[in-house]
Amino acid sequence: MSGPGGAIRARTVPPRGAAAAHLAGARWLWLVLACAALVLLRPALPWLSAFPPDWQLPVAAWLNGLTMPVFSWLRPFGRAAALLLDYPLGGIRAGLQSIAWPSLVLIVAALALRASGWRLAAFAVASLTYVVLCGYWRQAMNTLAIVAISVPLSVAVGFALGAMAHRWRRLVRPLEAVLDLMQTLPAFAYLIPLLILFGFGPSAGLVASLLFSAPPMVRNTMLGLRLVPADILESGVMAGCTPRQTFWLVEVPSAMPRLLLGINQTCMAALSMVIIVAIIGGFDDMGWEVLSAMRRAELGRSLLSGSVIVVIAILLDRITLGLATIGRRRAPRLGRRGLARAVAAALVLAVALRILGPAADLLPDASGRNILEGLDRALLAFVGATDAQFNLLRGAITYGVMLPLRIGIEGAATPAVWGVTLTPAGLALYAGAVGMIALLLWRHSRAGAAAALLAGLLLYTGLPGFPWIGFVLIVAMLAHAGAGPRLALVAAAVVAGILVSGLWLPFMQSVYLCAIAVAGCLAIGGGLGVWAAQSDRVSQVLRPVCDALQTMPQFVFLIPALMLFRVGEFTALIAIMLYAIVPPIRYVEQGLRGVPADKIEAARQMGTTPAQLLWQVRVPLAWPAILLGMNQTIMAALSMLVIAALVGTRDLGQQVYVALGKADPGLGLLAGLAIAAVAMVSDRILRGFADRRRGGATA
Amino acid sequence: MDRSSGLAAASLWSAALAAGAVLLAQPAAAAEMGAVDEPIKIAMLEWTGAQISGQLAGQILEKAGYKVEFVTAGNFPQFSGLADGTLSASVEIWLNNVGDIYPKVKAAGQIEDIGRLGLETREGWLYPKFMESVCPGLPDWTALQKPDCVKALATPDTLPKGRFLDYPADWGSRAATIIADNNLPYTAIPSGSEGAMVAELRAAEAAKTPLLMMFWAPHFVLADAQVGWVTMPPCKEQTNDHCITPPDVDKIVWSGFAKKWPAAYDILKAFQVNTEDQQKMMLDVDKNATPIDKVAAGWIADHESTWKPWVDAALK
Repeated sequence: MSGPGGAIRARTVPPRGAAAAHLAGARWLWLVLACAALVLLRPALPWLSAFPPDWQLPVAAWLNGLTMPVFSWLRPFGRAAALLLDYPLGGIRAGLQSIAWPSLVLIVAALALRASGWRLAAFAVASLTYVVLCGYWRQAMNTLAIVAISVPLSVAVGFALGAMAHRWRRLVRPLEAVLDLMQTLPAFAYLIPLLILFGFGPSAGLVASLLFSAPPMVRNTMLGLRLVPADILESGVMAGCTPRQTFWLVEVPSAMPRLLLGINQTCMAALSMVIIVAIIGGFDDMGWEVLSAMRRAELGRSLLSGSVIVVIAILLDRITLGLATIGRRRAPRLGRRGLARAVAAALVLAVALRILGPAADLLPDASGRNILEGLDRALLAFVGATDAQFNLLRGAITYGVMLPLRIGIEGAATPAVWGVTLTPAGLALYAGAVGMIALLLWRHSRAGAAAALLAGLLLYTGLPGFPWIGFVLIVAMLAHAGAGPRLALVAAAVVAGILVSGLWLPFMQSVYLCAIAVAGCLAIGGGLGVWAAQSDRVSQVLRPVCDALQTMPQFVFLIPALMLFRVGEFTALIAIMLYAIVPPIRYVEQGLRGVPADKIEAARQMGTTPAQLLWQVRVPLAWPAILLGMNQTIMAALSMLVIAALVGTRDLGQQVYVALGKADPGLGLLAGLAIAAVAMVSDRILRGFADRRRGGATA
Repeated sequence: MDRSSGLAAASLWSAALAAGAVLLAQPAAAAEMGAVDEPIKIAMLEWTGAQISGQLAGQILEKAGYKVEFVTAGNFPQFSGLADGTLSASVEIWLNNVGDIYPKVKAAGQIEDIGRLGLETREGWLYPKFMESVCPGLPDWTALQKPDCVKALATPDTLPKGRFLDYPADWGSRAATIIADNNLPYTAIPSGSEGAMVAELRAAEAAKTPLLMMFWAPHFVLADAQVGWVTMPPCKEQTNDHCITPPDVDKIVWSGFAKKWPAAYDILKAFQVNTEDQQKMMLDVDKNATPIDKVAAGWIADHESTWKPWVDAALK
């Protein structure tokens, strides 16, 4: 398969003939046989299940040795940059603090009016008044100050990088890999290097937010420039534009809608990261408030501060989105001049208020927050009243799902755990049941049958006890099936790297936690998505819930989950699922609603039942969208790993914290890189499957 | 600008030193004020107790004529700030929870430990009071060996052993060692965060579910929780790994502090916080939602006889 023909074939749809499917099926079967042999050989060769410590390499120490000199060399530059950033940051902060809040509300309302209309303006007034009444105005303004610095920087850097990649196409692939890394590497993993480079204070947080929020701008810039229609470009050339003129006068204006969308996404990403990196401290902002509430396990206070963040996020989103689409709608309610007048009036008001009295006095004190103590008491009363039921739920899922995956049926079927011992007859029964399921699936798809057998094996040994060679093989095969031999090599290398660096057990804990969370999210979220696709009312109810779940700082979920389910992996699971359930709801609904009406009509006329219509027409047609939703679910679950470690897990996320406590940047980076690598590989695999499916559907 | 005034302060300081050497006969010479125009940045950590101590220290320095700025800081990140002077002082550092970064910056001479804060601390194995009926014989540690007690504390994660809720994994812990030393049938489960421990204790009280955990005092949650402390078995070895001793709480300043603000350095060195007072203030903050600065100002107004001598000794 060498030569140009091979390359072209690899890029287009692979052959989907019966022979090829048969071949793939046979390959899967070999994999099952190999894994079964490995499982059976374990007692004889103990190094099969536990990776020998002698084979591990001090990768974290190497990383330290490699990166620390670089960091110390870069340190003066970092400190200089931090100093440079501190001035505008301090200025904006002081400015926002000194403007009395009614003036700022007026300005934001005017912006909202211009961006969208009276409804958004009213929402702006209401939500900002809410922030004031909650007693969080000062903190909210400090958060906004960081966002206000970080967004223009991210947009500038993102636009420059995107434009460069557009100009020099060779840069696209490496740049995309870097962007993926920037978006999947947990911020806590590089907190220590940031502190070393930029020192203590908001600058380090600012840089973290820059790293996280520039990628959407880069992606949107590349996409926008690429989608500029050729005829527009040509007319530019015909008009005699120089390359520079073509870029600024033709390409950028026609890519503008995409660029503005990029700014919107950058804003949201910056806000969410600013909340997370508040852990450094130094700025007394909203994120600090959320963290303090988490530390004190006060649900009321953390919900209150979380809701303030949600309100700000929604406002920021709607206003930037509205401003982005302003040119494509009818004339805005408020013209440029009107906006300028409103801002001027607001500033006059601010000065007047300043002269009349100190601005701070207009703010109510924080005693309003006391009401929320009632919420804490209610939660505790609820915990007291329902503890038996929740205990039962936790027990059922722990014994039924989590333990088998963690210690396997061979470990769980003991008197201590399940109260039974695994007899040979029981084992035979289990093997028989797995075999039956595989046989039933065999006719449908060989790969499905192989998957059933593999799942049976995995359940028997538990994920951490599964032979690591088998795991590497499975991952490589999956990657091969999804995206070809190159990814198979990369995936195998990633897993091997984790093995060698001694993070295997935390890694397996992460895989098992994420696998259960993703499966649960797909089942529950997918169901909700199907429901929402069929009922507009359900969809309307779910949308704000999804918005809140995604913008609420993830720390907020931890407190009620902790109180109801106590410290442990089950609580971590709940916290992860609360965050990762949003993508399946959204993508399934969107995918199902996006199925062309004529196809549904055709199916109806053939007399399908509603169930047939769903499973045989709509779901297969929506499959690419559902796969992308699954992809997003995995990303969300992985990104929650570090947060969920706060409720006591043993996974890679916990390693990131341990590294933070030890001030060991190498270990933190390594654990973070492992999470990022898992995210990137699974992303490529699922995208591969989705593309293939889409290709197959159109072919 | 920062550096030049630092240099100026340094030369002032050396001048003062020289003067001190000449006037050696005099007892403790009054310290220079130093850079009064530059704010002393005091770390405000996440928990109420430390915020109160920080406010008290800061307000006393203000009374002495200094500019003070209160800066929020994370417990681990603060050491990067203290190491390079971005933060000037942090007055309530629990030396049992400083990770490995504290010894690193201390060994590098970037921070200076200026002595105990004076808090009477306690650390040990804690249980909600109702546990005394679940495990008769508590607070003595032998009660924990009884099968009924172990069974009550067992969870799916730890079966057949009982569950011991340990400090978060990143704090470092001795519980597992002590459990092994005494052959106790318990498994130490790391709790992940302070919030998780507080939530567990509150939920255990609300639902009357058994709980045994590592904890420390003074802590705000103990103000309204009914708890008991386990009387520990004798230590196998008198080392930090095998023994629980009351943790030290120290005041830490940036290494350049003494040169830049000599009098403030003396004041902070003398600064002490009384455990009982701190607990009263914590209750006021947490229960009555009085702002911390007001609570601290109240103490300053009522206890002039306590803090005035610290300031006077430094300024004369």
